Amino acid sequence: MRTLRIPTQVHPPVYYERWYRRWFWVGVIFAVVFAWSLASLNINLRLFWEGIPHFLRLLSEMFPPNWAVFTRGRVLWSILEALSMAFLGTFIGAILSFPLALLGAKNITPSPVVRALAKGLMAAERAVPTLIIILLLVVVVGLGPFAGVIAISLGSIGMLGKLFAEAMEDVDPKPLESLTSTGATRLQVIRYAILPQVLPSLVANSLYRFDINLRAALFLGVVGGGGIGFELHMAMNLFRYRDALAITVMTLGVVWLAEAISDRLRRQIIGRELLQ
Amino acid sequence: MNLASVKGLARYRALILPTAILTLLVWGAAIVTRVNLATLVDGIPRGVALWRHMFPPAWDAFSELLAPALETVQIAFVGTVFGVLFALVVGFVAAANINSNRIGRETARGLLSAERALPDLITLLLFVAIVGLGPFPGVMAVALSSVGMLGKLFADAIEEVDPRPVEALGAIGATKAQIIRFAVLPQVLPSFIANSMFRFDINIRMSIFLGAVGAGGIGFHLVSAVRLLEYQAALSAIVVVLVLVLACEKLSDIVRTKIFGQAVLR
Repeated sequence: MRTLRIPTQVHPPVYYERWYRRWFWVGVIFAVVFAWSLASLNINLRLFWEGIPHFLRLLSEMFPPNWAVFTRGRVLWSILEALSMAFLGTFIGAILSFPLALLGAKNITPSPVVRALAKGLMAAERAVPTLIIILLLVVVVGLGPFAGVIAISLGSIGMLGKLFAEAMEDVDPKPLESLTSTGATRLQVIRYAILPQVLPSLVANSLYRFDINLRAALFLGVVGGGGIGFELHMAMNLFRYRDALAITVMTLGVVWLAEAISDRLRRQIIGRELLQ
Repeated sequence: MNLASVKGLARYRALILPTAILTLLVWGAAIVTRVNLATLVDGIPRGVALWRHMFPPAWDAFSELLAPALETVQIAFVGTVFGVLFALVVGFVAAANINSNRIGRETARGLLSAERALPDLITLLLFVAIVGLGPFPGVMAVALSSVGMLGKLFADAIEEVDPRPVEALGAIGATKAQIIRFAVLPQVLPSFIANSMFRFDINIRMSIFLGAVGAGGIGFHLVSAVRLLEYQAALSAIVVVLVLVLACEKLSDIVRTKIFGQAVLR
């Protein structure tokens, strides 16, 4: 009779011991860095406890919201300004990204050098924080919403260019090849084989970027880019909390409405083929 | 006109209305934002002059910028950790296969999407009003704005786990904590960490921007250098910011690819 060999050592204990040992030190280092960061930023539980009464006081000072702030035309106008900055910035950014994406797409630009340059440029742009762009632009073109528009346009190129180029590389190659084989020029190939396939995704991605840019436009106001962010910042700085609450509520309403519209459009566009 | 060209033109008819609306919107937005090409053209010589004033960077400013740069990283790091901890709790509450209480789930999901809808600037300004300037409101703003995104990603990841280990453990009478630890966590941990690293990348940029609004760190130094017309110091700060952003991106790349090539905590 053959004896059945029963393993005396089952695997899990050995296995667990191994990963515990490996991750133990990672955990320790992580905890030490975290504790050190807390200490050097002076963050402790007391701050939380002290924050609560401050928070309640702030709430009581904010209510009721001072809707009369909107009778000053400047405030309503600056909401429109932020919306326009985001919209126009996205529009210009998308237009600038398109040729860059063409240069970066493998199936359109044969030269690897040009492709690498275009992709490198877009990657470099993605790495630059918008704060740097807006600060320099304010010096160059002055304070105001125009600087914000340029900052948003430039800030959108990196991401949109990358997404556009990916969409172009994902197109069905058959129309492209058949057009090329009939002797179509490169421009004709782009117009009749690439554009119809990528347009829905270009518009959808631009709408997505619009959502991001609308939030960026709020921030830009604080550093000189115009828009409602500036009014909100000022109201807070001057302790006009009832004004600030009214502005906050209005801003939230406008941001949510704009996002709902862009979401709706995006849903409609994806899946429907324009320009067939 | 022959039939072919009429058909060719008819194709574009669907585009007339969208194009008209778009043109109107662009035109209106250009008026509101006072777009002025002359300003742009005038800006070119000013840009060249700015570059001359900026270059070379102030070399001695670099040593003074190290501490603020570190502070920026710490704000992002501590904020991310707090955000991840909150998001873990909310994520488990929001996951349908963990929490059978529908009202609790819907509440958690609702809170998460409400937070995502809240612009970061508003969160930050509120925290500054509550606790004053400094790194603390920055950390809180970073943490809060991470919760909305991470909580949703965590909850989605938890709901997508293979249900068999969960059911098997449930069948042998394991407690909820044991099920989470031995059936859910091993499956979701790699994606949790990858998403947290991704959020850390975003938070570094946010933390730089927060400095400009009063949270301290390198962003504050950058803005004040520009405001004080110390352009050489500003260029130094720009260099530090770029190095910071690239280094953090690289770090999170390494963590995501090298370490999570292998599965963790299986």
